[in-house]
Amino acid sequence: MKPYEWMVRHTPQTEWIQGRGILFWIAFFCIELGAATFLIASLFHNLLAEFIGWLICALLGGGFHFIYLGHPFRFYRMLLKPQTSWISRGLLFVSGFLLLSAIHMVLSLSGMSFLGLLIVTDILAFLTIIYGGFAMSYVNGIPLWNSALLPVLYTVAGLWGGAELSIIIQLQDGSEHVASLEQIVRVLLIIFVVIFPTYLVSARYGTSAGRVSVAEIVKGRLWPLFWAGVILFGTALPIGVVVASLVIGFDGIPIALFYFSVAFELIGDLTLRYLILKYGFYNPLVPAADSLSNEQ
Amino acid sequence: MARWGMVIDLQKCVGCYACVLACKQEHFLPPGIFWGRLVVTETGRHAAVTKAAYPVLCNHCEDAICVKACPTGATVRRDDGIVTINYDECAGCRYCVMACPYQQRTYYADDKKEYFPGQGLTELELIGRELYPLQKGSVLKCNFCLERIDRGLEKGLKPGIDREASPACVIACPAKARYFGDLSDQESEVSCLIREKKALQFHAEFGTNPSVYYIAR
Repeated sequence: MKPYEWMVRHTPQTEWIQGRGILFWIAFFCIELGAATFLIASLFHNLLAEFIGWLICALLGGGFHFIYLGHPFRFYRMLLKPQTSWISRGLLFVSGFLLLSAIHMVLSLSGMSFLGLLIVTDILAFLTIIYGGFAMSYVNGIPLWNSALLPVLYTVAGLWGGAELSIIIQLQDGSEHVASLEQIVRVLLIIFVVIFPTYLVSARYGTSAGRVSVAEIVKGRLWPLFWAGVILFGTALPIGVVVASLVIGFDGIPIALFYFSVAFELIGDLTLRYLILKYGFYNPLVPAADSLSNEQ
Repeated sequence: MARWGMVIDLQKCVGCYACVLACKQEHFLPPGIFWGRLVVTETGRHAAVTKAAYPVLCNHCEDAICVKACPTGATVRRDDGIVTINYDECAGCRYCVMACPYQQRTYYADDKKEYFPGQGLTELELIGRELYPLQKGSVLKCNFCLERIDRGLEKGLKPGIDREASPACVIACPAKARYFGDLSDQESEVSCLIREKKALQFHAEFGTNPSVYYIAR
């Protein structure tokens, strides 16, 4: 975008995706994936998966968030405004979740953890999963983000990723809960398949910036990322595996295919979040000729 | 308590960029950072094209989204309506940059940029870093020249009337297209202009009640 196009054309946000903004994208993804992995794993008392989820959330999510900040050592100040700021709320949820989940895991090792602590930790894990979507949907200047469906989409995608990752981890130690996890994945996949196109269609038929955003995602310069990354590998392949597991049973699926399916689901989720951040456009604020305002 | 606001007469604006330059000079803004800008557009088609200039700056909204979005409390709205940033408290998360629907905030990422690349900082840039230190890693935006206002009020001057107490862009405008004053005073020049010339807020649909009004062409 040229300087003279700012405010005249649909202006893309850049701070959360360009340069160091890439860190923010990865941080949001890792925080939700880690918390979701912990949440799903905790339902089946798999301590290893809980710990891996915790590590993803703390080291990758928290770490990338930390180094993204302009003044990282002022991060504690971000806890100060939970009454109005979603970033502040998010940091509180993440901090609470990481602290309580660490206590829960330590107590679990010695067999002393109790249900009340796990319930509070799981609630905080869920709040950690949902906060990213709410933080973005609060931005009313970007119509693609300013949608009630975005937090739902991010939550479902996060939980789906967490469930898939939990399956992989549980497969390693031969847990008997894999079939139950697969049931969760099926439900989340169905919800995702309904929510995702609904989200895109509702954005498409909202404001002009929403229309441009969706057009860029679907047929813009990065269209292969959408069609190959999100649709083919990120959604269709996992659907294929789920359908196959329904038809021939979970045990009949080659394990390698299953690993690929999980890897592609995670890549698809990451790609989807990239595209949503990348093509967050502000509406033009000043009147311009049609040829200027509606083209990209 | 006063609520400082601005009226920009688009009928008078000639698009000379004097306001943009005055702002940059007043605050020693580094390359690529603008607190006030001039958006020039064309509407219509050949041979009935209309060129229009829109001076834009932070709207110092009464219900500022950036103030709510800021997680550290670095962005505050003063009692006089000026929305300002405390650089010492800003963590540089850039949520306010996203949240401002008017796109009036800029993240100060690179303090190594020079106006004449490769030739070092000019004397003016060096002086600027002493007199008006900006913090790399913080978010910047227009502050209605609050230093001038505060200093002027201490001296008993009236912002918007006395040059010394008025924002740099207002006193630099050669077409006198900018007016500054107290929106809460019904008899102030800005209030009268808003009433008589039916001045409008920029995209009032965002619901933030901006303190900057525009008199339409």
